[in-house]
Amino acid sequence: MSQENIGIWVFSELPSLTLELLGKGRTLADQLETELAAISIGPEDHEFIEHGADKVFLMNDASLSTFQVDSYTDAITALVNEYRPEVLLIGATRNGLEFAPRLAERLKTGCVTEASGLELDAEKKFVLLDRVTFGGNIVETQISRAKPQIATIAKGLFSPVARDSSRRGEIVKVEPKIKPPTTKILETRPKTAKGVRLADAATIVAFGRGVRKKDDMAVIEQFAQAVSGVVGCSRPIAEDLGWLPEEQYIGLSGQKVSPKLYFACGISGQIQHLTGIRNSRIIVAINNDPKAPIFEFSDYAVVGDLYQVIPALADAIKELSRV
Amino acid sequence: MVDIVVLVKHVFQTADLRIDRATKTLVTQGVPKVISETDKNAIEESVKLKEKHGGMVTAITMGWPDAKEALREALAMGADEAYLLTDPLFEGSDSHATANVLAAAVTKIIDYDLILCGAYSEDLFSFQVGPRLAEICNLTQITYATKVTLEGTRVIVERDLENERQVVEGKLPCLISVLREINEPRLPTLMAIMAASKKPMTTWTAADLALGEEELGFNGSLAEILRTTVSVGERKRITLQGDAKEIAPKLVKALIQEGVLKAG
Repeated sequence: MSQENIGIWVFSELPSLTLELLGKGRTLADQLETELAAISIGPEDHEFIEHGADKVFLMNDASLSTFQVDSYTDAITALVNEYRPEVLLIGATRNGLEFAPRLAERLKTGCVTEASGLELDAEKKFVLLDRVTFGGNIVETQISRAKPQIATIAKGLFSPVARDSSRRGEIVKVEPKIKPPTTKILETRPKTAKGVRLADAATIVAFGRGVRKKDDMAVIEQFAQAVSGVVGCSRPIAEDLGWLPEEQYIGLSGQKVSPKLYFACGISGQIQHLTGIRNSRIIVAINNDPKAPIFEFSDYAVVGDLYQVIPALADAIKELSRV
Repeated sequence: MVDIVVLVKHVFQTADLRIDRATKTLVTQGVPKVISETDKNAIEESVKLKEKHGGMVTAITMGWPDAKEALREALAMGADEAYLLTDPLFEGSDSHATANVLAAAVTKIIDYDLILCGAYSEDLFSFQVGPRLAEICNLTQITYATKVTLEGTRVIVERDLENERQVVEGKLPCLISVLREINEPRLPTLMAIMAASKKPMTTWTAADLALGEEELGFNGSLAEILRTTVSVGERKRITLQGDAKEIAPKLVKALIQEGVLKAG
């Protein structure tokens, strides 16, 4: 077998995220003139080939049906050692984020977690991986000196390739060798954040300390309804005041969001918060302090009292709907 | 009895960092250094477990000499002893090299039952050192803990994943990484702060850990930082001010044109 590492691989335990990774993977594979492979858990191939993969490794083993870091590390280490890919992109779910560094350490290779940008270097030898550190202030460009280069990638960063039913590829069935996991899952229960999923929301209306009392949240909630958005908040609202559950605060240590439209209402814009919203497409900030740091990071900076601006915006939307 | 090693990182207080837009540099001057927040929760959890089950809590940090302050705080919170791993050779360590240094130290210290650490550090947020250390030490890793219960050598951990909460069972020894919601770190009393200054603190260098240059620092790293750039954000920064009733329709129209808002 050749010592050279070849091919771009993608993996996430979430098929929807695998599709996004295939989107970016396809670009890289074309630039490198190499093949793109997806690892799939279970008997389904999830149409990965139709969405850009040249090859799908099908790991059909009942012990992989639930994510366990030990089993996944065993299974994918064996696969990597056999086929030696050049690059492995892993979905940055919490599962992916505990699995990728463990795998990288076993393979003695570098790993860039939550990479925000991936480009080939001029000689096409490395993927240059950008990652944001120091609360969103610094972008580090890294490479891994060893192969495969491993990176984890958050949801919402890249788009899938459109389905093309004429695409052909190869399906490789793999029988992984897995030791029994060292932990046992006793119980799994879904979170009950009132069905609110900030991570998937296209529009988010978030508020901070500029909302003066709990009852005033109604203003925000009504506005969120008017724009078909989901309500979020800054850390102090959830952590210090407890007005909303912890699952609803957005920031470095809370939810990281990537909506098309983000309203920051009465949020001053601490780095903690800014880091959570940096992948938003358009940011509208409403704040009565013209010096609020949030304005530096906004597309539309509305200097004004949110108690006046928000109802006015709601009216303007209603007005336009009528026309 | 449970002997715990708790990993601590001394970081700049992220909320106080700012960018000098003119020089495009990160301003760290005058910014206080603190224990990375989830590590503080790990210290608190270690001390709680010790109070319940007995045993020793050992705090370790790899860092600059000023990281002693972080260890003093850990001791004041209830840790029994502390180790500062510091050496100019450690500079430039990536998460792999850092895990190597920490692994050498925990192996040298004691027969520990449990390693506790924060799930991430507040400055780099890489989530890597815990899992890498667990791999080097061949330990079970249990991440994102929001509750830890010990029953003999069994450990029951509640974990917080994106959309679900999980309860898992493992066996000691293992490594557990914690999230902020696991507890409320205590504020040490003046008495505890004074007592901390009498607790043992040892400094170890690369030589003390019998580590070669190829295992640590820049040379021992698997990831290499090619460049760092200051992120200034690429936002439009269009300011709207004046009468709310006049601004609102303009903004709504602009958002519709951007394709991010639908009317009706």
